[in-house]
Order: sequence, then C-alpha cells, then structure tokens
Amino acid sequence: MRPEVALPILIPLMAGATSLLFWRLRLAQRLLAVGGTGALLLTSLWLLHSVSRDGILVMQMGDWPAPFGISLVADLFGAIMVVLTGIIGFAVALYSLATIGRGHEAFGYFPLMHLLLAGVAGAFLTGDIFNLYVWFEVMLVASFALLILGSEKAQMEGAIKYVTLNLLSSVIFLSAVGLLYGMVGTLNMADIAQRLSQVEESGMIDVLAVMFMVAFGIKAAAFPLFFWLPASYHTPPVAVSALFAGLLTKVGVYALFRVFTLIFHQNPGYTHEILVWGAGLTMLSGVLGAAAQYEFRRILSFHIVSQIGYMILGLALFTPLALIGGVFYIMHHIIVKTNLFLVSGFVNRLRGSYDLKKLGGLYRTHPWLAILFLIPALSLAGMPPLSGFFAKFIVIRAGIEAEAYGVTFIALLVGLLTLYSMIKIWAEVFWKSPPEPGENEPELAPVSQREMWQLYAPIVGLALCTVFIGLNGQPIYELASASADQLLDPTRYIDAVMSDSGEVAP
Amino acid sequence: MTLAWIPLLTLLGVLIPVPMERFGRRLCTLATATPVVIALILVLSQLPMLLSGGLPHFSLTWIPSLGLDLAFRLDGLSLLFAVLILGIGLLIILYASYYLSAEEASGRFYAYLMLFMTSMIGIVMADNLILLWIFWELTSLSSFLLIGFWSHWTDARKGARMAMTVTGAGGLALLAGLLLLGDMAGSFDMGTVLASGEAIVADDRYPIMLVLVLLGAFTKSAQFPFHFWLPHAMAAPTPVSAYLHSATMVKAGIFLMARLHPAIGDSLLWSWLVTLTGMATFLYGAWFALVKTDLKAILAFSTVSHLGLITALLGIGSPMAIVAALFHILNHAAFKGAMFMNAGIIDHETGTRELDQLGALRHAMPMTALVTMIAAAAMAGVPFLNGFLSKEMFFAETLYTPLLGGLGWLLPMLATLGGILSVAYSLRLVHAVFFKPARRQPPKTPHEPPRLMRAPAMLLVMICIAVGLFPALLATGILELASTAVLESVPELHLAIWHGVNLPLLMSLIAIIAGVATYGLHIHLKRFVRQFAPIDARLVFEGAIQTIASIAHTLTRRLDNGSLQRYMSWLLGGALLLATLGLVQLPRLDGGQATHPVDGILLLGAALMIFGAIGTVVSHRHRLISLLMLSVVGLVVSLTFARFSAPDLALTQLSVEVVTMILLMLALFFLPQKTPRESSAKRNIRDLTLAGSLGMVIASLNYAVLTRDIDSISNFFVENSVPGGGGHNVVNVILVDFRGFDTLGEITVLALAGLAIYKLLNRLRLFMPHSDGEGRVWSPDRYPMILTSVSQTLLPLALLVSAFIFLRGHNQPGGGFIAGLITAVALILIYMARGVEWTQSHLDFPYQPVAIGGVAVATLTGLGSFVFGYPFLTSAFGHFHLPWLGDFELATAMLFDLGVYLAVVGATLMILANLGKVTTPHRPRKDDSRAGTQQPQPSSKEPR
Repeated sequence: MRPEVALPILIPLMAGATSLLFWRLRLAQRLLAVGGTGALLLTSLWLLHSVSRDGILVMQMGDWPAPFGISLVADLFGAIMVVLTGIIGFAVALYSLATIGRGHEAFGYFPLMHLLLAGVAGAFLTGDIFNLYVWFEVMLVASFALLILGSEKAQMEGAIKYVTLNLLSSVIFLSAVGLLYGMVGTLNMADIAQRLSQVEESGMIDVLAVMFMVAFGIKAAAFPLFFWLPASYHTPPVAVSALFAGLLTKVGVYALFRVFTLIFHQNPGYTHEILVWGAGLTMLSGVLGAAAQYEFRRILSFHIVSQIGYMILGLALFTPLALIGGVFYIMHHIIVKTNLFLVSGFVNRLRGSYDLKKLGGLYRTHPWLAILFLIPALSLAGMPPLSGFFAKFIVIRAGIEAEAYGVTFIALLVGLLTLYSMIKIWAEVFWKSPPEPGENEPELAPVSQREMWQLYAPIVGLALCTVFIGLNGQPIYELASASADQLLDPTRYIDAVMSDSGEVAP
Repeated sequence: MTLAWIPLLTLLGVLIPVPMERFGRRLCTLATATPVVIALILVLSQLPMLLSGGLPHFSLTWIPSLGLDLAFRLDGLSLLFAVLILGIGLLIILYASYYLSAEEASGRFYAYLMLFMTSMIGIVMADNLILLWIFWELTSLSSFLLIGFWSHWTDARKGARMAMTVTGAGGLALLAGLLLLGDMAGSFDMGTVLASGEAIVADDRYPIMLVLVLLGAFTKSAQFPFHFWLPHAMAAPTPVSAYLHSATMVKAGIFLMARLHPAIGDSLLWSWLVTLTGMATFLYGAWFALVKTDLKAILAFSTVSHLGLITALLGIGSPMAIVAALFHILNHAAFKGAMFMNAGIIDHETGTRELDQLGALRHAMPMTALVTMIAAAAMAGVPFLNGFLSKEMFFAETLYTPLLGGLGWLLPMLATLGGILSVAYSLRLVHAVFFKPARRQPPKTPHEPPRLMRAPAMLLVMICIAVGLFPALLATGILELASTAVLESVPELHLAIWHGVNLPLLMSLIAIIAGVATYGLHIHLKRFVRQFAPIDARLVFEGAIQTIASIAHTLTRRLDNGSLQRYMSWLLGGALLLATLGLVQLPRLDGGQATHPVDGILLLGAALMIFGAIGTVVSHRHRLISLLMLSVVGLVVSLTFARFSAPDLALTQLSVEVVTMILLMLALFFLPQKTPRESSAKRNIRDLTLAGSLGMVIASLNYAVLTRDIDSISNFFVENSVPGGGGHNVVNVILVDFRGFDTLGEITVLALAGLAIYKLLNRLRLFMPHSDGEGRVWSPDRYPMILTSVSQTLLPLALLVSAFIFLRGHNQPGGGFIAGLITAVALILIYMARGVEWTQSHLDFPYQPVAIGGVAVATLTGLGSFVFGYPFLTSAFGHFHLPWLGDFELATAMLFDLGVYLAVVGATLMILANLGKVTTPHRPRKDDSRAGTQQPQPSSKEPR
C-alpha cells in the first residue's frame, strides 16, 4: 500500500475539516493553514519521489479491483501537478496570514482554502472520470465560496458569472460522462481507454471527445469559453486570486492533457486540429484582452488566458517535444502567475490600489519589490534565462518542427505582446512618479515587520523557483520529458491501473 | 576555463557596485572597473593561442536535450568585439563616474551597465546559437533598464519601451530564425552551423530563415525601416548612448551578420537584402543627421547611417568588403564614442543639447573643441584619420561589386552621396557648436570639465589619429585575425593612406568638397525641409500601440461585454458547433439495438416531463408557477426511476426534490413574484434556436448511445455486493463502498455549499414583502395551530423513520443520504411551524461543525483502513445478533454512512437557518403604519 497516493487529497481534506471545527479559534486556523499546506507540500514531494523511482503508482479505493472501484493513479504528470499544488498552497497560505483580514477569516477562509486544495489534488490524482467530476464540483463550490467572502457588489457580480458558466461546464461534462458510460460501460479512465480502442465507430468517439473538450475548455478558460475568468479573478482578496490563477485553470488544462492523451488519441487529425485552432485563438484573444486593460489584476487575468493557449498548443501539436513543452509550460506558469498576483497584492497593500494610473514610484521606494516583480514578469514574457523562456522555447521549437508555422507565428507574436504588457505594468507601477494623492484617499496602515516577512517570503520563494527552473533546466526538462513519455504511451498507465487489482475486501 | 571567467567576471561585476556605493563614487568606480580590467587581460592572454591558429573554447552542458550548452569560443571576431566591449566599457565607467550627478544612484547604474557588458560579451563569445540568443535578449533587457534610468522622465520611459518592443520583436523573429537554422544544420553548435553553409543555403526554408534572422539583426542594428527606436533611445544618460547606442549594442546585429556570414551569407538573396537595406539606411541616416538640431539626435542618426554603411559592406560580402566592415566597426566605435562623450560633456556643462543655444564654445572649452573636431573629421572621412581609410575601402567595394549588374554605377554614386552628407553634417555640428555665435544663451555658463572626464574621449581620438597615420602597423594584425573567423582565406591586406590616384580617392575628394558646399547651402536645405511636417517616430509608434489597444478593446468588448447572457450564448454556441461537427461525421444515428416497447404510462410520463419543461420556460416570468412546473419535471424523473426498478434512486430524487423546492420557495419569498420582460423578440429567437438545437443534439447523442451495445461493469456490483460489500442494497453499497470515494467528495461539496450560503446570507438584510405577488396580504395566522401540533408530533416519528431508513440502508432502499434528507424535511417543518427563533432556541447548536463533522467522520473511517495496511476506504463488516432486534450487520461502511447523514443534515440546516434569518427586524415605515391587520408574518419568518 502506498499512502502517499491518497494523502495529498486527505491531508487538506482533514485540515479543512479540523479547521472548521475550530470555527472561532483564529490562531488555530492560522497554524493549521501553514501546517496543513506544509504537510501537503511534503507529501507531494514524497509522492513525486516515489513515482519517479517506482513508476506509476496506483491505489484502489476500498481495495476494489479496477475498473470496479475508484482508482487513484499517480503518474509523473499527476505527481508534478500535485507538487505544484503543494508549492502554491503553501505560498498562498503564508501570504494569507498577512493579507486576509479578520472578517474573511471569521467566515472560514482557511477551511475553504484547504478544501479547494483537496479538490485540486483530487482532480490530479483520480483515475476515474466520474470521480474527476466530483473533484471538479468540490473545487467549484469551494472557489465560489472564496469568491463571495467579501460580499462586495463586484465580487457578487463576478461570482455569479463564474458559477453560472462553470456549472454549464459541469453539465456538459456530466452529460459527456453519461454518454461515455453508455458507450463503454465503465468509468475507470484506463478501462475506458482500453475499451474505446476496440470501438469501431470513430464518429461517436469524436463527438464525445469534443464534448469533453468543451467542458474542460471552459475550465481551462480557452477561446471562446474564457469569459468567466476575467469577469471574476480581479474581485476577491488577492490571495484568493493568486490561488485561483495558479491552480484552477490548470486543472482544466490537466484534464485536457489527461483525456486527450489517454482516451481520445485515435483521431488527432480531427480532435487535435481543433485544439490547435483553439490554442491559437486563446493566445490571441487573451493577450488582446490584456492590451486594453489598466487594472493590475485584470491584465494578469487576461494573460492567464493567453498563456493557457501555449499549454494547449503543447498538447495539440501532439509530438513528444510539444508535450514536453506543454508540461514544462504548466510547471513554469503556475509558479510565475501566482507570484505575479502576489506581487500585485503587495503593491496594493502599499499603495491601496490596483489601478495602474493611480500607482507609481515603487522603483525608488521599494527596489527589491521591483526586482521581485521583474523576475516573474519577464519570465512570463519568456525572457531568458528564466523559466518562461525555456517553456516558450520548447513549445515554439516543437511548432517549427511540426511545421505548424501559422500558430508558431501567433505564439511568437503573443510573446511580444506579453512582453509589452509586462513593460507597461513596470513603467506605470514602478518607474512612473506617483500621481498626486487625491483628497479622500484612505490612510493605509503601515506594514509591520512581521507582515513584511509574510508578504516577502512566498514571493521570494516563488521567484527563486522561477530562477531555479531557468538555470537548472536539465533536470526539470528530464522530468517533463519522462512525464511526456508516459503520456504518449497510454499502455503504461493502463497496465499500471488494470494489473494492480487489489484483493476483495475481507 | 579561462574563457568562462571572462563573462563570469563581468557578471560578478553586476554585484559589486550596489554594495560599494556607500564607500563613495571614486571607490565604487574603481571596484566596478577592476573585473573589467581583469577580463580584458584574460581576453588578451588568449592572443598567443589564437595567433598560433588555435581556437580557445570552453563548454559546459546546460540543457543538452535541447541542444543548449554553455559554450564559449574566442576566435578573432569574438576577440575584436570583446576588446571593443571591454575597452570602451572601461572608458565609459570612468566617464560616467563624472557624468552622473552626486545624488544619482550610480551603483544601480553601474550594475545595469555591467549586466549589459556581460550580455554583450556573451553574444560575441557564444558558441551556441541558443546561448547567443539568450544573451541577445539580455542586451535588450539591460538596455531597457539603462534607457529608462531617469525613469521619472516620460521621454525616458517611452524611449525605453519603444526600444524594448522593437528589439524584442526582432529578437523573437531571430529566435524563430535561429531555430530554423539549427534545424537545417542539425545542431545549435556554432562550429557545426558555420561549417554547413552549403546545406543551409540549399535548404527550402532558407529564404524564410534568412528573413527572420535578418529581421533580428536589422532591428538591433537600427537598420531602415526599423531605425526609429534609436534616436528615442537617446533619452538615456549619455554614457549609455555612447556605449550601447554607438559602440556596442547596435553593433550586435552587425556582429551577428558577420558571425553567421559563412553559414548563411553565400546567396544572392543575402546580398540583395543586406546591401540594399544597408545603403538605404546609410543615406537615410545621413540625411536626417543633417537636418536634426539636437546634438544627440544628430549623433544618433549619424550612427544609423554608419551602421548602414557597415551593413552594406557585409551585404557585398567580398573578402575585402568583410575586412572593410570590420575595420569600420573599430573606427566607428572610436570616433563615435568620442563624439558622444563630448556631446555629453557639452550637455553637462551648458545644460542643453540644442544647436540653437550652443555656439562659439571653442573659447570656453578649447580642449573639448579640439577633440570633437578631430573625431568629427574622422567621422567625415578626412584623410590621415581612421575614418578615411575604411570609408575609402567602402567606396572601392561599391565600385567593384558585381551585385547590381548593369546598374552597377548606382552603388558608388549612392555611396558618394552618403559621403557628401556625412561631411556636411560633421561640418555643421562642429561649426554650429564651436564657431558660430549662439543665438540664445545656454542655461549654464560653459567651462571645461574635469580632466579625467575628458580623458576617455581624448584617448579614443588619439587612437583615431594613430590608426589613421599608421594603419598597417596598428590595424592589420587584428583585422587579419578577426577576418579569419569569417572568411576561409583572408585577402592580403594593404592598409595605407596613399594608394595612388584612383577612383575611390576621387570619390573621397568629391565627398569632401561637395560636403563643404552642401553645408554652405544648408540654409536652403533647411527651408526645403521645413515644407514637410516632421514625423515623430515616437508619436507614430505610440499611435500604433494605441490603435492596437483600441482594436483589441473593441474586439474584446464585442466578445466580452460583461453580459452573462452573451457569455452563455458564446459558450453554448461553441459547444453546439463542435458537437454538431462531430455528429455530422457519424455515418448513422441508429446503432441497431432493439428499442424498448413504448406503453401508455411511459408516453404519459414523457408528455408530462415535456409539458413541465416547456411550462417552466413559458411561465418563467411568474416565478411561483415556473417553480411548480419545474417540480413536475422532478417528480416525473423520480417516477421514472421507480418505473425502471431503481427505488433507491427514486426515493433519493424525491427527497431531494422536496428539500430543494422548499428552499427555493423560501428564497422566492424575498424576490419579486414576477420578472419583468427583459428579452427582445430577437433575443428570444436566438435563445430558442440555441436551446432547441442543443437539445436536439444531446437527444440525438443519447439516442445514438442507447441504441448501441454496451458491456458494462454493473454486473460486478450486483455479484459482489453481498460477498464483498456485505449489503443487499447494491445502490447503497455502491454509494458507501464501491464508490465511497465519490460520496466523500459529494458530501464535501454539500458542506461547502452550506458554508457558501451561510456566508452569502450572513450579512444580507432584506425587507420582507408584506404581500404576495397578487397583492394579497399574508395570512394573519403566523404559526397555524394545526401545523404546529402536527409537526411536533411528526418530528419524533420522522426521526424514527430516518433512523430506520438509515439502518436498513445497507440491505434495502435507504441509507444515510435519504435518512439525512428525511431528517432535514422534518426539521424544515418545525421551522415553518414554529419560526426561526423558537426553533433555534430549542436546537441550540452551530450547524457548521455538524456538516463538516460528517465529512470528518467519513474521512476518518476511510483512514482507519490505513492502520490495517489497506487502501483508503477499505470496508470491513461482520454479522451480529442482537436480542429482540434480530440479526444485524455492522459494517465500517455504516460509519461512513453516518458521516453522509451528518453532512446532509448539517448542510441543509445551515442553509435553512440562514435563509430564515435573512430578514431584518426593522421594516419600512410604510409597513409599520399599516401594522395589525396588514402586517401578518409569513409562517417561516421570525416575529418582529
């Protein structure tokens, strides 16, 4: 038995439950936040270590043999995603200590955060398509609750859009699962893959594939399904934005990767061609959306969309190098994007605004923060030698090798526009002299020494990750490469799940 | 290893200045210069090896899988550039120490400068295409930071952004080009690439690759039409302009062309593109240098012009042309560096760079005047100075190239024209600044700068003179060395001032004479130029950016106008399109499986369901009716479950329906009873079409799936339910055992939903409407007696029933979920009958812990199996005999089911209690005045 396969789900679940039981004890909740996410990070590293040593790990829930019970499966890709969840969870938990007000804490911010993480980890680890749906629901409801914590009008408006559009995704997803079950009579993804390869009518498979594509495309915020994201991500407290920005859309991307490598890979000429188009349009529409924005977090939100395009492109090109690029891109992006949101929150904490026009002068007053912004920002834009460069480089090289020149051109162009966008933020927030303060600007509380640490620590940590991935690219590349190998060879996944038939319970 | 130390030293230099700043400017400058000096010595120490024909090389793997190595080489070309970069860098460090005012952050400035130096060194020494590109981008970045050094100044910020965007765009084109190049050569290793020139030129993709690479080079080296960023980069402090924008960074593009010349330069396309671009830039830059009035702008355009000259030489590509190009790189760096430094001195001492305000400075600053004049003469190509030599070589090359065939005379003519212009603008600059009386007074009274500030420029000018006088002695060696890296066989070099009377000499003479004459006619030229509206590249650029932004804005608005309906229609439309595309591919819809016979009951059910669904939509403006219609659908669904022998599902669906309906009714109480008409007819059509087609697509899919064979895993559950799960009720065993993990997730969702609603409603305070939608006031009987007493009696009964349902759940229809719902219904009844206050005073405990406690119990049950070494949620069961009650079966699944029960009850109560508490005790005055008969309370609401 390998407990590390299930622990990344169970730890946040228990941490969330315990935290809720200490409803009134603020200190206990705060301690649990750091402790729980720290434990999550450690177990996730344990899991990654085990998986890279022993290959794909499987735990059959309830000891029922696959495909009858629910299988938890940790392949390299899944394990990497769980590690990223741990990193982001831990960083955001630390950051929350200084930025989440008492009001939010009193309404269960920390338990919700834990449960959200449980949902994310569950989605990454499950090997069962219906169970994936369940974890999607956990994530959706937890994120909805986090969105409305502030009860502000803008938050409500964003949250309503968020939840409506995501419920639509759930409906499509559930219908697709139902239809799939109607076709192959099983829910275990490995088993589905096996049985689908024997189905002769490829037309039906294509239809189902497309339904999954839409459902996960909404989650991943792909074109034209991304509206919920820029409508809602700039409204909640910044720690929540950061958590969402790092993890939620990536669950959709993960699901696309999983399903379109394991299950629907018979007709890439159809399905993956649609994905190529989707990727290109996603990149473009996201970056163009960002061009017109003047609000720090809205710019960043639109860039999430455009960056999702690169990841999907990695999947869509469907060559070994492209998949490596996709996995690498996800790893890089989660860290960088979260960090950018954290920096935006720091700026807001110092200046009380997210509006670029009202900001300025931080380059002189906070040079270290300026550098800490520059690292993830340039990484996002793909500047060497940071993580984003390698991610973009691999995807673009894969595009050129696959002779997909059109979409490669888009990828390059979007890189340039991203760079421009980041420079815009830099020039407005850091370089420009601050505008004269208005009449009734609220006085901001000075940042205490302790808060300073809680704010800086996660930002510095994530920035170091970015630099580390850049300078120490080879092991990360090998990791991405090994996980892409596993993705491209579904038989390994299938064998691992189906052969590991646990005994029937005593 | 020595090689690696060269970039490493400059990189270390990045870290030195900031901490050293507190020890004073002098020490900081010294400390910054030290690694540069050492690096320079290291570079020169490689000379013996190079001269003996060796190639110093260093390599370290970085990401071998991507073909990226940390590999450096130091061939002649690298050496030439490295000496240039480090040497001029040293002078700039010295110069900047005086240039920057005392309160400016010199540490930060030096750090950026060293970062730039490192990346330049990296470019020229890189032995790997990708590594070269990495350093290439770093120069863009560091130049961005340097141009924007005076960041409070709008011009600086905009100039920096522009430079970054243009060179960034070029950089990305270059990346694509280099990737293609590497693909063609089969490796990113510089040696391999340079050796496979023939294969590369023969490749199909050669033209596109060449264009991409050249785009990178041209943007970086400010070639027409990408030159416009360079004049605006002059917003940088002058040391930066002198270093980056004349001596080094703008030469990176030139370097790249020279470096890759053996690999990609041997084609007609190259010659055409590069030569013509170079010539165009040469003339364009020279012309604008003549008409600009800002000292640095003149120098910037002159730089553009000279870069064009070098580019044209590289395009011509004959061995002598390459040598001439390299020679001119050196010469230009020397005289233009000196010019910039002096421009900075003038700016520094007079406070202006406008020609209008300058004049007759030879009296105030004689030394500076002398130095500038010599440098300008070199720039103009006056004999006995270095610029003359390389320019003459350029003239010669334009004469002898076969490039334009019949139009061969065009190139030398254009070259002479450019020469004329250079003479004119050099003369104008010197004359206007030092001789002609000033029209207006400069802001500061000019005087000579400190000696050490003058020293760098003087040193450079001395080099100009020395090379001009003794070219064979001073330049031949390094030029031969450098050209070995580019050319297979280096031509015999005869650098000399006097080659006898020949055409190139004649061209030089014409250039000088006509140049002087042109300057004489300068006034007329000015008048001519004034007829054209000046084009400010920055305005054009910013305008373009604005246009892109506004187009983006319009596009985004069209897609994303903030309306949820719009979003939904896009989403559904997207889904519809994709699904239809797939469905069309299906050869036939019918899968051939025999269909179930249809009987009257089924038909009735279907009709009812359709009626309910349509009714819900049609009556949606009357919310209560709509809700009732919806409940019809729910009811028929549960009946359907019952009909197809799924009593468990039917029971669950029924209780879910009841609870949902009650909660929805409670919510409706606060909303207006009617919805206003919001959709236009057009929109109704759109929505109807969308919904209808989606429905049909889904129905077709269902039909297709249902008429096909299925081999499902469900038999396993039926067979293993008793032996494996210890229960006869398969559905319940699936819920709590086979797929207990799903259930765990679902009860988490339920608890979360409770929490969300708790938060959502917590601070919400709504006024109660005093009448229903038709204007009828609520019944005065707040807590109907009958309901109160019946519910009181029912409660224990209901609890008993739910306990019964719970216990038998494992074997017969029932289970924790249904039991929880039944308990919830009973409690809801109490709420309705007694009001929130009464109920809460009697059920005095917080509900959140109940809900989440359920999740915890379920999780802990699952974790229990870890203790015994089994996977999560592995169940155990046994049979027990209890007196009176008979045989009993206890399974851990039961404990799990208890968790489910608690979660359901807790979550429902959380929602209910909060919905009940929403109303504020304070009502609007209007209502108060009518209190008594018109103020009855709805039954579920708390009393005032």
